[in-house]
Amino acid sequence: MSGEGFEMPKLSSLASLQELRKRMIAGRVADKPTIVVCAGTACQASESNRIIRSVKRYLLLKDLVEVVDLRVTGCHGFCEMGPFILTEPQRAFYTKLHHYQVPRIIDAVLADEYIEELLYQEPGSGKRYYDYSEIPFFKEQQRTLLSKNQQVDPIRLFNNISNGGYLALEKVLANPDPAWIIEEIKRSRLRGRGGAGFLTGQKWELARKQDGSSGKFVVCNADEGDPGAYMDRSILEGNPHSIIEGMILGGIAIGASEGFVFVRHEYPLAIKNTLIGLRLAREYGLLGTNILGSGINFDISIVKSAGAFVCGEETALIKTIEGFIGEPEQRPPYPIEKGIFGRPTCINNVETWANVPIIIQDGAEKFSKIGTPTSTGTKVFSLVGKIRNTGLVEVPMGTSIKKIVYDIGGGPQDGCSIKAVQIGGPSGGCIPYWRFDLPIDFDSLTDAGAIMGSGGMIVMDEETCMVDVAKYFMGFLKDESCGKCFTCRKGTQRMYEILDDISRGEATLDKLDLLKELALAVKDTTMCGLGQSAPNPVLSTLRYFLDEYRSHIVDKRCNAFVCKDLVGAPCQSACPVGTEVWRYVAHIAKGEYEEAYCAIRESNPFPSVCARVCDHECEQRCRLGTTGQDPLAIRALKRFVTDNVDPGVFQPKKAKVPNGKKVAVVGAGPAGLTAAHCLSLEGYAVTVFDANSEPGGMLTLGIPSFRLPRDVLRKEIAALLDENITLKMNTVLGRDISIDQLFDNGFHAVFLALGSLKSRRLNVDGEDTEGVYSSMDFLRQFNTNGRSLAKGHVGVIGGGNSAVDAARIALRQKDVEKVTILYRRTRQEMPAFAEEIDAAVAEGVTLETLLSPVQVHSNTVGVTGVESIRNELGDRDDSGRRRPVPVPGTEHTIKLDTLIVAVGEKPDTSNLFGNGASGVETAEWGALKIDTHTLATGRPGVFAGGDVVTGPNTVVDAIAAGKKVAVMIDRYLRGEVLRQPARSSRPTVFVEPAARDQLVSSNSRTKVPHVAVSDRTRSFVEVEKALSAEAARAEAANCLRCDLEFTKPDSKAALLKHSSGGQA
Amino acid sequence: MITLSINGLPLTVEKGTTLLEAAQFLGFPIPTLCHMEGLTPYGACRLCVVEIGAKPALKLVTSCTYPAEEGLKVRTATTRVVRARKMVLELLLASCPQSKTIQDLASSHQVRQQRFRQEYEDCILCGRCVRMCEEQMMAKAIGFRGRGGSRSIGTPFDIASETCRRCGGCIYVCPVCELRCTYNEPEKAICGGCANLSPPCIDQGQFDDMMCYMDPCVACEIKEKTNVKELIPCNSPE
Repeated sequence: MSGEGFEMPKLSSLASLQELRKRMIAGRVADKPTIVVCAGTACQASESNRIIRSVKRYLLLKDLVEVVDLRVTGCHGFCEMGPFILTEPQRAFYTKLHHYQVPRIIDAVLADEYIEELLYQEPGSGKRYYDYSEIPFFKEQQRTLLSKNQQVDPIRLFNNISNGGYLALEKVLANPDPAWIIEEIKRSRLRGRGGAGFLTGQKWELARKQDGSSGKFVVCNADEGDPGAYMDRSILEGNPHSIIEGMILGGIAIGASEGFVFVRHEYPLAIKNTLIGLRLAREYGLLGTNILGSGINFDISIVKSAGAFVCGEETALIKTIEGFIGEPEQRPPYPIEKGIFGRPTCINNVETWANVPIIIQDGAEKFSKIGTPTSTGTKVFSLVGKIRNTGLVEVPMGTSIKKIVYDIGGGPQDGCSIKAVQIGGPSGGCIPYWRFDLPIDFDSLTDAGAIMGSGGMIVMDEETCMVDVAKYFMGFLKDESCGKCFTCRKGTQRMYEILDDISRGEATLDKLDLLKELALAVKDTTMCGLGQSAPNPVLSTLRYFLDEYRSHIVDKRCNAFVCKDLVGAPCQSACPVGTEVWRYVAHIAKGEYEEAYCAIRESNPFPSVCARVCDHECEQRCRLGTTGQDPLAIRALKRFVTDNVDPGVFQPKKAKVPNGKKVAVVGAGPAGLTAAHCLSLEGYAVTVFDANSEPGGMLTLGIPSFRLPRDVLRKEIAALLDENITLKMNTVLGRDISIDQLFDNGFHAVFLALGSLKSRRLNVDGEDTEGVYSSMDFLRQFNTNGRSLAKGHVGVIGGGNSAVDAARIALRQKDVEKVTILYRRTRQEMPAFAEEIDAAVAEGVTLETLLSPVQVHSNTVGVTGVESIRNELGDRDDSGRRRPVPVPGTEHTIKLDTLIVAVGEKPDTSNLFGNGASGVETAEWGALKIDTHTLATGRPGVFAGGDVVTGPNTVVDAIAAGKKVAVMIDRYLRGEVLRQPARSSRPTVFVEPAARDQLVSSNSRTKVPHVAVSDRTRSFVEVEKALSAEAARAEAANCLRCDLEFTKPDSKAALLKHSSGGQA
Repeated sequence: MITLSINGLPLTVEKGTTLLEAAQFLGFPIPTLCHMEGLTPYGACRLCVVEIGAKPALKLVTSCTYPAEEGLKVRTATTRVVRARKMVLELLLASCPQSKTIQDLASSHQVRQQRFRQEYEDCILCGRCVRMCEEQMMAKAIGFRGRGGSRSIGTPFDIASETCRRCGGCIYVCPVCELRCTYNEPEKAICGGCANLSPPCIDQGQFDDMMCYMDPCVACEIKEKTNVKELIPCNSPE
């Protein structure tokens, strides 16, 4: 508030400005407590005006006006945290405030104390920071332009002057030689911040040389129309005097006496603050005729653009200022020769102008040292999208994307990984995560297929579909194309059409070539920058994400679950076996449990198993969950149905007569049994061979009975077997049978579902000692033979499901005292299901993370301990995860009596297929190589699927492989083409939504009941319990019913219902 | 005088000559729809692109607007130029398949198919009529309206213009010959010249003594056959 008390006449000389500045600075009280509040557009939207009023009221009330200063500033860039208060000189940063918290903060500032619970808290880690400049979001930036926003009050000129405003003007007026200014700008190698990156000094020199007899113009281009970008706005709002000063300097340099600020009509606050700034500057003689008595005339007026994106293009901008429709003109002539009203016009971006005073004041040397040799200085980016910290980020040119995204932006939001960054607004391009080491400067971005643009930076994670992104931007550009030149108007429209077809699964592969051809032609032949860069989103996504386009076209899948027409109901698309989740949930909501069971069983032969151990991808994709709430508890609902309905209600459709063909299935796990079941329904005679004594594969060998009770499993398997299926247990492929023999014995096709049962080794010294077991051995010995191998303190190395299962089983063995899981990364990165980890920890398993084993110690009896080394998180890999890096000197020994190694399994196929001589090829690590679309191996008639192909994987994926292979074998034996065009799985059956009075409602996700920890740690009773009917119906009622968008009531059925109602 | 080279041939032209004029002087064919002698260059149809500069800064520019520069190297039919032109023609064909001019151009450039969703539009928005009206007829009766996909040519709010003299110049200069007369609803007409002029200002030899929009209107017949709903009423007094 200081300064406004001065009564000042118009400043008439340089000396009077210097005198004023001296007085202002002398009048400042050092370290006076100050409350800084942002009143930028975003903070005003989150009620910072109310905060300001509260501050004023409290200061007046407590008579603190002379003691505490209030500074209302423009945007600081951390808009997500608004409204906030920054205190000085403490530099405490209080975020997301309510007005009633203001008095406490003022009291705390006066007492030099902090209010802990209101301080900024880092998302993720939860750490609080006392010093504003220590916050990673600010700390990693170099805020040359934006720091001014924090220091000055935009609508108070004196405040600006006392903070170094118009110092550059002082310097120039002391030596108003245009050549000097232009030389300084040239030496700074400043490049235009509007996108194209033309050297500003060069442009000015050209402008200077033009004939100015009828006048010249300078223009500040603030027509910032990119979705997601607002750095120009924040500078105009927060520090308009830097633009005014820059434009005066530019005017003096090129010999113009008139300037325009061309600003978006949608930026009312920026317009207001700039108008105030212009008025004040004029009043005090800094602008207008005879600036500070120097004889130089320069004035600026504001032109508001009318909301067309293309008006930011310089020739269209000129047309708009002249009063015509905002349409580009073909260049040449360039505006620098023939601009507004045919006079030379120098157009620069807001950020470029804001940099000018800094260069003049601090010297070109200092400026050109920042950034890279070809791109100097800092650049403001607006970092938005799927990232923790969104806001304005100012970094030196040449900073890597990785640093901006992970260190400043804080990395991805929970549970996702970042896929790409869209740089440069709608006409920019996408840079994929594997190129995040790219330094951001004009040239490397262009090489990578993006543009600097004005600096929008939209972060996208795996839930963003790149086809959809391209389509969105193309839709925007199609609407914003002025339509003057044919290729832009029609080209953007046609690109949009093709992208739309792709996103609806209605395109063919040749459309991709057409799209690319068209994109290149549009880039080559359009009139202005809009059209020339319009194909960038298409070209860059085609370049880096061609697979996504192909999967939309060929597989009819949108793996990000965005393209509505391909996804249908996300729960159904996410399910590997295609369960119509929405359908059974709808039936549960209405209390129709038998119908619900049939809906489940139709697509899944193992409903009770999956109700317990499925990794429920449906829940990850549930739209309730992706729109901010908890997802529906789908697996618990399935459990409720399978526990309460007699499986007999579902009778699968079965061929009446056997077709006389024989199929051999090797491996009686979920994949093998599913295939056997499906093939038997088609009338094939199936023989299932398995090395173990009991069918079930990993379900029997690996999964503990407290997760999957054995009676449930046995019942489910028994229901699948029928007269067409013969089980041959204790038969080992390679020992008892061979593929050749099977074919000799009259089998027409063979399905290899061997599983993935060989444990990987730790590869450290001393591993082969008594008391060290692989997780598979440990689980198998216990689950099939009932042998308890663990004793004393048990260490489990690994972070996958088998590690957690082994730990929980060990905990239940009688000689065990304590179980510790050792994992090399952090808990967030453990691949095991989160709920299993939670359960293990609840039962008393200790989790030791960031620890790697180095050596196993043993004595004559067996293992005594494991020597481990601490890891710390190091560099980020391409996926953005920090690599664990061992810290030398942190080696220590953990005493153990048993060590279970659970670092993964691989298929055990060595010696089985003789290096592909049999036609069946294996990968180096043992997996079988197949055609992923047909599951066929290299040998005709031999198919493979399940873990033997994928490595350890989920039950439901194995079932899906079994179902698919049954279809393929059927086609193979009928002599049909195996591979058939994909179709998208959209809901087809209409299930009448439950009437309101039928619904039992609840608001939040039902908690699945568990047996109390004390009752389960030493017993093998099933841990999870089924939901009650009320809880299940209430949960099912929360379903959003995404299916209803695709289905319609059967008109006949509705008609019947209606007429019967009428008769009654 | 400026010396430049076109397809390797040196040529000296006056300052202000466009590349199109220079190339035409040498006899190199460059297709164009929006360009017309006597009207200011506009650069809307993008057919007349040529390649200028030297590697690696090769670029395509519209020859109708680009002024000759000293030492400029121009190539009028490189692979890149031809590829771009073919795509422009394919786009034209996809939108205005009924135009004989476009059909002929496409055929002479070996464009045999168009791979986009077929549309039936009358106008390619080349702006010749607008420039004709403004620059030669000094009327400014018609102009562009709307943006992007909804851009069209007409009078403000479709109200018949008071400055229109029904000269028919707009129809005369239409390169795709698709601007229709809407005689029996003159208040909606851009021109309606047929109702007022006799004989029409169009070269009679070429059209017999009738203009293309007089009975029978050939374009309308094509439209009827292609089942375009939005049929513009044409010469049916009853």
